[in-house]
Amino acid sequence: MNRQIRVFGIVMIVLFSALFVQLNYLQVFGAEKLNNHPVNSRAVVRDFSRPRGAVQTSDGVLIAESVDTDNAFKRLRRYPEAELFAHLTGFFSFTYGADGVERTYNDALTGRESQELSIDRLGELLLEKDQTADVTLTVSKALQEIATRELGDRKGAVVALDPRNGAILAMVDYPTYDPNILAGHDQEKVREAWGALNDDPDRPLLPRSYRERYFPGSSFKVVTAATALDTGTASVTAPVYPNLTQLPLPQSTEPLRNFGGGSCGGPLPEALRVSCNTSFAQLGLDLGAEKLSAGASAFGFNKVPPIDLPFGVASVFPDASAFRNDKPALAKSAIGQQDVAATPLQMALVAAGIANGGVVMTPHVMGEVRNAQAEVIGKYQPKPWVQAVPADVARATKDMMVGVVAAGSGTRAQIPGVQVAGKTGTAQTGNDTSHTWFVAFAPADAPRVAVAVMLENQPSGNEFTGGALAAPIAKTVMEAVLATP
Amino acid sequence: MSARRLTSGRRNTELGLLLLAGVLTGGAYVLASLGRSASLPANLMPLLLVILGLLAAAHVAARRLAPEADPLLLPLAGLLNGVGYVFVARLQPDLAGPQSLWTAMGVGAFVGTLVFVRRSRDLERYRYTFALVGLGLLLMPLLPVLGQEINGSRLWVRLGVVNFQPGELAKIVLCVFFASYIVEKQPLLSAGTRRIAGMWVPEVKYLGPIMLAWVFSLVIMFWERDLGSSLLFFALFITMLWVATDRTVYLILGGAMFTAGSLLAFRVFDHVQTRVDTWLNPWPVADSGGYQIIQAAFAFAAGGFAGTNLSQGSPQRIPAVATDFTFAAIGEELGLLGTAAVLVAFLLLVGSGLRIAMRADSAFEKLLATGLTAILGIQSFIILGGVTRLIPLTGITLPFVSYGGSSLISNYILLALLLRISHDQSARAAAEAVAQDQTRMAAA
Repeated sequence: MNRQIRVFGIVMIVLFSALFVQLNYLQVFGAEKLNNHPVNSRAVVRDFSRPRGAVQTSDGVLIAESVDTDNAFKRLRRYPEAELFAHLTGFFSFTYGADGVERTYNDALTGRESQELSIDRLGELLLEKDQTADVTLTVSKALQEIATRELGDRKGAVVALDPRNGAILAMVDYPTYDPNILAGHDQEKVREAWGALNDDPDRPLLPRSYRERYFPGSSFKVVTAATALDTGTASVTAPVYPNLTQLPLPQSTEPLRNFGGGSCGGPLPEALRVSCNTSFAQLGLDLGAEKLSAGASAFGFNKVPPIDLPFGVASVFPDASAFRNDKPALAKSAIGQQDVAATPLQMALVAAGIANGGVVMTPHVMGEVRNAQAEVIGKYQPKPWVQAVPADVARATKDMMVGVVAAGSGTRAQIPGVQVAGKTGTAQTGNDTSHTWFVAFAPADAPRVAVAVMLENQPSGNEFTGGALAAPIAKTVMEAVLATP
Repeated sequence: MSARRLTSGRRNTELGLLLLAGVLTGGAYVLASLGRSASLPANLMPLLLVILGLLAAAHVAARRLAPEADPLLLPLAGLLNGVGYVFVARLQPDLAGPQSLWTAMGVGAFVGTLVFVRRSRDLERYRYTFALVGLGLLLMPLLPVLGQEINGSRLWVRLGVVNFQPGELAKIVLCVFFASYIVEKQPLLSAGTRRIAGMWVPEVKYLGPIMLAWVFSLVIMFWERDLGSSLLFFALFITMLWVATDRTVYLILGGAMFTAGSLLAFRVFDHVQTRVDTWLNPWPVADSGGYQIIQAAFAFAAGGFAGTNLSQGSPQRIPAVATDFTFAAIGEELGLLGTAAVLVAFLLLVGSGLRIAMRADSAFEKLLATGLTAILGIQSFIILGGVTRLIPLTGITLPFVSYGGSSLISNYILLALLLRISHDQSARAAAEAVAQDQTRMAAA
């Protein structure tokens, strides 16, 4: 029996060696990956009782701060504006980690990033001088309030940014939540609130503007039109699309119809002005999958916009190969249906790219970082993200978008005395509702603001189009920006 | 003469090692109660002394009742028990009192076993009584009124105010039965085989015992929903069968049968599927089913090589950390150094147990010692592997370390039996040596 006993002993040694190897992975070799895992909130716990800087708006309103408390946590994170900035500040929770600016600028807020260790700083460290920094956003409370009011209690998002440098001026998502609840010290209550927020079918925790994709509908025609001009597939005069009520599609018995069953056609500017589906579907087929897919990618589709907010998602336009045997899908994708899905942020960036001579600037919410002595220790340096189209194509596209607002589907975005460029979108969801869109920028010749407005699942019908519902919101927001010096 | 010298030598080694274990435990306890965020209330200090006193009592009992037994077992168990106690007290101070009471009962059971089992061979006589008692204990949780279902498994029996897990005791009782039964039938079990395709295959009529063990492991799996114990029980039987007969076919057969049972469980039970899915990829369910195992992984990672130090980590984030996940807390606060030390302690326990088995004279003692050691080794591997996500998680206790009365009491009984076998062997060897000396002297 002794031989078997010895073999059993060896088996046990092998099993325990496997445990030892696994522990080495968990505790040493894989530890860094686990420590930095997004689900891991241990770093937050470590930071939880440390001093933490404040977050304020560009117009100087405090939107996140730490106040001293008597309990073991030492400090409580407060959000004075509660729901208004929830999707920007995010939350700082003991149980659920951090989101939003609280997450991306955690190092700055806790002072771990700003202070390089050097001899002359050593004294400060020893004296336990306040190392934390405050973050000032590019978003203003005034504009955020206006956009919030305009959106009202309709599910959707409003994104406004400065096309010249990518600074986000307002970013509103509805529904929203109160981050104060998640930052509380009573973990039982926090857990309860978290459960309720997650179970809410309206998904108040979701920042729709940059983490949710929707059919962009006709607002995507800006991309199709600009790509057509860029590739020479169409010019502003030719071809002239025939007046049609429906377009027969290859490989399909189901023709593509115009919105509301109307008849339309004409050259590209005319087709864009009235948002003609048959013309743009034909244009999509003329362009072909390769060019249209490349054009969408040039505007930033299929890439996560490098905004300084966590967990953003990429908008999608399928690879050309997906359309090889599916021409109807290509035609429908050219008008922003079928396989195309975009975040409101991405559509705002499309407008911003046209506004900024074809260059899409990197979107960002951070303006500057100040240390505890209120000295500016970091300022956001604007940088281009993608070159969507050449400047002349951007100019021609802008002229067509001006036509949309001047005398087309987007007349409700007109601002007296200011030329506005825009595009409507009413994307059918397939369950008898539509996502209504408006993307725009103004003034057309020297743009200062680009906007995307998206209202989720609106009823179908002529009175519920992007031009009717979303355009007035975009107008008010742009007007407010232009009213400030 | 030589027998006496041997005695005091072995027990003095044990005393020295126990003192070392005591110092380590006490040091850890003090560390946990110091520190900036001390989590140990000062009034728990007397309870530590109780633990250390109990280990001393166990040592004195060993001196009197099994003086020539292996000196490593008790200090190793004491160290694991002590470290486990520090972590239980640090993680859930309200369990410190009960845990020291359980330790007292465990040491009581240890002494009681040494008192009542004066010769390990005596156990062989009552094999069918043991078989009945073992099966009774195993099936007790299935009884109405008595049986309690906790966390989806039906493993508990309610006796007055305390809940008890009879399965913990059953595995030892059944191990004794297996040992005597297999030894008795060993000629049949190994000789009743034919060589087919280079392998010894038993005749169908001798497959009865293995089928019976399989059926019972399935009962545990399906009615009590306790995968861990089911695996432990069956693996124990197969291991003992193979050690006694050296017929590889039993290993293959056993493996196949358990696989079949597991696949069946996987098909039938949602919670088994969930367990396996969670094991393969816990990340999609990081907020629900995978929360515990992921938080444990984060705890291990946070501990790193040297650990955060006692009381400086936050292992409370792991659900059930004081019972099922104590090892992850050790990983966080004592680091890889601490977890490796625990692994080494268990390996040394297993090593000592197997050495006792190899030295034992009778087949029964050999097999019993192997079986008892296998219980310790396999059980600790199942839970350590589960907590570290090496294998799917099943909720069984980590011997001597986890909080829990049934587990502590049973493991101390197991320890006492190993000491008893070890003592019997050494005493006999010593007696023979004396006898030889006398014969030689008489001859001279």
